[in-house]
Amino acid sequence: MRTTSPRPIAALLSVVALAACNSKGGDPDRQYGPNPYLPEPRAYLMPPMSVPKAVGWKAGETPTASAGLKVEALATGLEHPRTLYTLPNGDILVVETNSPGTEPFRPKDFIAGKVKARAGAGAKGGNRITLLRDANGDGQPELRTVFVDHLYSPYGIVLVGDTLYVADTDAIIAFNYAPGMTQITSPGVKLADLPAGRLDHHWTKSMTASADGSKLYVGVGSNSNITENGMDVEAGRAAIYEVDRLTGAKRIFASGTRNPTGVAFEPETQQLFAVVNERDEIGPDLVPDYLTSIREGGFYGWPYSYWGSHVDVRVHPQRPDLVAQAIKPDYALSSHVAPLSLLFSEGQHLSPGFAKGVFISEHGSWDRSPLNGYQVIFVSFIDGRPVGKPIPVVTGFLGEDNETVHGRPVGLALDRSGALLIADDVGNTVWRVSATQPRT
Amino acid sequence: MRRRDEQLRGSIGHARPRPLLHRGFLAAGGVLLIAAFVTDYTYYATALWQWANFSAWLITAGLIVTFIAVILLLIDAATGRAGRLNTSSFILFAAAALLSLVNAFVHSRDAWASVVPQGILLSALSSVLLLIAGASGWSLAISRATETNK
Repeated sequence: MRTTSPRPIAALLSVVALAACNSKGGDPDRQYGPNPYLPEPRAYLMPPMSVPKAVGWKAGETPTASAGLKVEALATGLEHPRTLYTLPNGDILVVETNSPGTEPFRPKDFIAGKVKARAGAGAKGGNRITLLRDANGDGQPELRTVFVDHLYSPYGIVLVGDTLYVADTDAIIAFNYAPGMTQITSPGVKLADLPAGRLDHHWTKSMTASADGSKLYVGVGSNSNITENGMDVEAGRAAIYEVDRLTGAKRIFASGTRNPTGVAFEPETQQLFAVVNERDEIGPDLVPDYLTSIREGGFYGWPYSYWGSHVDVRVHPQRPDLVAQAIKPDYALSSHVAPLSLLFSEGQHLSPGFAKGVFISEHGSWDRSPLNGYQVIFVSFIDGRPVGKPIPVVTGFLGEDNETVHGRPVGLALDRSGALLIADDVGNTVWRVSATQPRT
Repeated sequence: MRRRDEQLRGSIGHARPRPLLHRGFLAAGGVLLIAAFVTDYTYYATALWQWANFSAWLITAGLIVTFIAVILLLIDAATGRAGRLNTSSFILFAAAALLSLVNAFVHSRDAWASVVPQGILLSALSSVLLLIAGASGWSLAISRATETNK
């Protein structure tokens, strides 16, 4: 009989080995597109972290736009602005919000709380929607009002006909809206409950509507990184819901999407797309966050596997039957960039290069060194599919020392003139990106 | 000198000798760390996440209480309560505490990987060391009273 080294001793030796190993992330360039480089997963005593300190913007400082574009502040002094939405009359809605707050479950959670606070993610959200009106389109709003107040960690927002739907973390609320309104005072009506509960780990509920307005689509994140809070609390989570707009009846449209922080329809094909934040703590280059088309009934792997059939051994018991069904996403955005919003372009207002494709905001990493993300990118589309490498559109959210962070991009919208708006939840600002030479 | 005499008299007579302060905390810390092995095993057997949670808290609490015991041991030494160091116990406890410190980090991993395989191996190993040390009394030093009685 062949002798093998006893497994317990090997396991203990590997603990010692882990403490000494280098854990720098590689070039994100290898992880863009349909076939990203995927290293072997690792286990850590202390997962690699690099947490930039949030310092905000000094007067006159702005992010950096790519050639031919300029950046100006549209609004400052907001309370953790996350989602942006442009109404048909050009008014801009800013959802000011943050997590409803969760209690620590494990010793680790105390440390995670400190990390978040340093990175500027711990700030209290306004739990309200602010309206900005810039009727003459000069980038200086003439009017700023509190549009809806006293919401509960709102995130997604969409107008269908004369009804404004707001996705609070626990329910979709419908408000009557008439063009030109600057404040909604009538109480909303609940359309449907959404998975929330005491833990509500990934709390954001991204939302969009189908072109005909009959259905709403809602992204619901998992209740953990990788099931460490038990499987019971994951029921109905890590999924994209379809909600009937008239009845409020809902069903799971697709599952296995760990944290689908943005959902939107591709305008040419009317195909639903999502950006999804993947799992942490198995390496600086695992797992790439992604952009993907969402198939009805599709399963995208979480928690059992990633990028198709790559099994995650942290999940027990495992489910080979589900792993076999897991769909490989369309387009990797590289690891830990934290894509939070996607916005399909509507023609070449900014630049001919941005005529057809999607803008994606990358909130930025803290569980990776060197840092990754902290920018707004553009991914070109051909025939309704993402192609090529991402093009940086707005950068400079990180300080030049790579240790401080001025802002972190979240929500995206186009204003009436076609300028790109970016919500920045550390700088508490809405940035407006426009062409330096007006296009005709 | 005078204190020594008093102590001697105290122990020879029926007055109570001054107890070692660190012993109770050492025993409590050791028990918490051993309990973490039990909860690790239960998690291994059931895959119910709350047991892994218990383990993480037990190890953290065990290390804190053991740390308090170390401070009290220094006070025992400084105030003349403690005599000679119980070397074998001290080595066993120190090794168990170091393994448990590493184990606290292993238990900060998520889900199954927080316990299997390294977490439960570390808690098993430190439990064995603690039980051997505990069998000879939960003490890192000989009480001076006992020492002078010899």
